[in-house]
Formats: sequence, structure tokens, C-alpha cells
Amino acid sequence: MPDFDVIDLFVSLTSRIGLNYEFLATGYEAQIWRDGFATTLYLILLLIPVSLVFGLFFAACLTSGRLWLSTPVRAFVELTRNTPTLVQLMFSFLVLNTFVSSLVGGTQNNPLSAFFWVVAVVGLHIAALHAEALRAGIEAVPAATVEAARAIGFSQLQVLRYVEVPLALRASLPAIVNNLINLVKLTTVGNAIAVSEITYASIMVWTQRDNVVSLMIVILLFFSLVNLIVARAGLWVERKLAVPGYGL
Amino acid sequence: MMGAVLAKRGRSSHILRNGGFVALPLISLIWSLADPTLGRELLEWVPYLASGFMMNILIALSAMTLGTLVGVLFGILALAPFKLVRYPVAVYVQIFRNAPHLVLIFATTYIFPFEIMIFGTYLPFPDWVKAVIGLAIPASAYVAEITRGAILSIPTTQWEAAKGLGFSRNEALRWIILPQCLRRSLPPWMNVLASITMGTALASLVGVHELLHAATDASTAVRRLDFTVIAYLVVMTAFFTLCYPISHLTRRLEGRFNAV
Repeated sequence: MPDFDVIDLFVSLTSRIGLNYEFLATGYEAQIWRDGFATTLYLILLLIPVSLVFGLFFAACLTSGRLWLSTPVRAFVELTRNTPTLVQLMFSFLVLNTFVSSLVGGTQNNPLSAFFWVVAVVGLHIAALHAEALRAGIEAVPAATVEAARAIGFSQLQVLRYVEVPLALRASLPAIVNNLINLVKLTTVGNAIAVSEITYASIMVWTQRDNVVSLMIVILLFFSLVNLIVARAGLWVERKLAVPGYGL
Repeated sequence: MMGAVLAKRGRSSHILRNGGFVALPLISLIWSLADPTLGRELLEWVPYLASGFMMNILIALSAMTLGTLVGVLFGILALAPFKLVRYPVAVYVQIFRNAPHLVLIFATTYIFPFEIMIFGTYLPFPDWVKAVIGLAIPASAYVAEITRGAILSIPTTQWEAAKGLGFSRNEALRWIILPQCLRRSLPPWMNVLASITMGTALASLVGVHELLHAATDASTAVRRLDFTVIAYLVVMTAFFTLCYPISHLTRRLEGRFNAV
């Protein structure tokens, strides 16, 4: 098996500079660690569309001009922006989850897992940040443009769909990419409720092996790499969507 | 007509904003008055929760002080005319700006020893100090970026004018450039302050006695569902009351600086 030779070589090379990756050669712990990376990546890939869809929805509510729509969303945005995500997660998991359990008659019937709550809490938290960015973008669309669209018979929803959102999306893309980088970092709060993402998996490994520094280096590089990819992808989309003669 | 609509909207959003600010404490208060047994239980635990919250504030202030000092220094070094200085600083900023706060808190907690030897005596190295360092690292990376951006935003003519007046590079930085940066970097710095303040809740995961940890302790001790709800509600209220004024002030400052 050539695959194992590479791992052995890596382990022996790194042990020479004082790092301990011996667990990679074992089946069980290496599997936990690999699954940790996979879970974190899965969370990120799932959360990006979830946060964008809800962000768009919140932004539409905020700019709708109808108080019964904008007031609850504004309250939610302010609450989620100004309280720690960890506290929101604990509140959701310990309080809302218990309510759901008692509603469906016992924990064994509760279909909502810890994973679901991480996606819900982090997704809505980032959605609130997206909504603020998009709202600023929608409000920056010139009134004359909106009036012109109205004049040719667009309804309010059509104006939003075909005029305001396409322009706002381009204006707020840097802020949205910034929020996505925060999203990547926020996936680690799943640790608190035993979702086995990378920090949780790493704790399982380093309590056995006492190799915190070795694991930390890989985790830091991993997050740097993921965020670099997110930032690059954001720049690529920005360039792809750029309207000639509009903006910088 | 348009003005009237705008004024009305402004007023209603103002009421909403202030109403929202008192709504959370009001819910906790009314609920604990409506159910006296719950209210008494909560009152008993308030000092314990408050001592936890003091820890949050202590960690946030210490981490921001340390992070700002290191960050401003690194921001200046990031523009130093020597590659040997510039590149390591750029790598530091790049890695720690992108790292989750939780990972850095874990790193400092588990890597640093629980006591350190200074001049032959063992001094304890408490967990909360490790959390301060864990949060000061990302804070310093953000502040370094802010400082670098602020320095770059000052027109080059200012440097040239200072040079023309006989200032050296360091003197120009100290007396001409940095004072102007202070104003520009205040709103983003306050964003970092809010973010680090909220990050202090993460210290509960490494066993620091702060507010979230205190609330978990209290709810496991009391074992009542309604107490758990109100305890976490109080935690939310405390953080909201601390962070909302910061973000509100930040937005007002941003608006004012953009208008000028």
C-alpha cells in the first residue's frame, strides 16, 4: 500500500522536528480526525447557501416598507448581532430543543439533532449579517432607477428581483465575503454541543496523545486555507459579476 | 409629504430601537415577578451570575488592551521598509485573522503550562489569563490590519510635506500620520471590541468561570426548566446590554465620519 508509506514518511519526518503525528498511522484516531475535517467542510458547504437564502429573505423584509414584516426581522437582526453565537446556540439547544422534545413527546421522538441546531443558529446569525449588508446595498440603488422600473410596470417584488437585488448584491459582495469568512470560523462553536467538527475531533485525539501543538498547526493552516479559498472565490465572483462602467 | 413619511419612519425606528433595548430585561423582570418562586431563585443566583459577567468584562478589556498594543505595533511594522520585518508580520496577521477564536483559546489553554517559574518561585498561570492571550492574538491581527489600512489611507503628500518640514520618517509617523489614523480607525476598532467582547463567552468551554459558565452551573444546580430559560435569557440580556451601545455608537460614528 503506497498510501501508508507516505504517512509513515510524514510521521518520521515531522517527529525529527519534535512534532507528533503518530496517531495518523493508527486506524481509529486517524479516522476520527479525518471525519472531523469532513464534518467542518460539510458544515461550511451547507451553511453558505443557507445563510445566503435567509439573508436575502431578511433583507427583502427589512426594505419592504411594511412594519409588520420589517419590525420582527429588525428585532431579530439586532438581537443576533449583539449576543455571542455560543450563547444563542446554548439557548437554542438547551431551551428550544427541550420545548420541541416535550412537544413531540419525549427526547427519543425529537427529530432535531445537535447538527441541526448548529446549522440553524450559525446560519441565521450570518444571515442577519448578510441582511444588513444587502439592505445597505438595496438602499443605495438610485431612486431614479427604481422609479424607472415602476414606470415600465414592474411590481414591488419584480423591482426587488430584477433591479434592486442584482445591483445590491454587487455592491455588498465584499461585506458578504467577509461574513462568509466569519461563518467558516463560527462552525467551531458546534464543539460546545458535541458536534464532531474538527476542534471536537482534535480534543479526542490530543487527550490521548498529548500532541496539542502538532494538531494546532494543522488546524490553523486548514482554516487559513479554507478562508483563502473563500476570499479568492469571492474576488472571482466579484470580477465575474462586475458591470462595465458601474462602480470601481 | 416625503419628509413626513421619512420623519415618521425615523421616529418609529427610534421607538423600536429603544423599545428593543429595554424589552429583554423587561421580559426577565416581569416573568420573575409573575412567578415569585422563580423570581426568588433567580435573585439568589444573581450575585453568582454577576461575578461571572465581571470576568467577561475583565477578559474583554485585558484582551483588547494587549491586542491593541501589539496590533498597532504590528500594523506599523507591516509597512516597514524591510522585507525581513514585513513578511513575518504579514504571515502572523494572515493566519490569526483567519483562525477561529475558539481554536486560539484552545491553543493557549492547552499549550501553556498551568504554572510558570519566575525567579525560582512558581506562579500560577490561571485559565482566564490564557483566555485573555487567546483572544488578544486575533484582536492584535485585526488591529494590525486596521492600523495598516489607516496609515495607507493617509495621502502620500502628507508624508512628503512632513519630509519637507524636516521630519524624519519616524517623527512624521508619530506626529503627523498616526494622530490622523486615530479618528479613521475608531469605528473598525470598536467593531473588534464588540467581537472580542462576545468572544469571551467561548472561555466557558475551557472552564473559565464567566457568565455562560455561571448560567450553566446555576441551571444544573436548580434543575427547573423555567429557571434554565430565564438564566439564559439573563445571559443574553447582559451581553446585549453591553454590546448594543457599542455597535450603535459605531454606526453613528461611521455615519458622521462618512458625512464629513
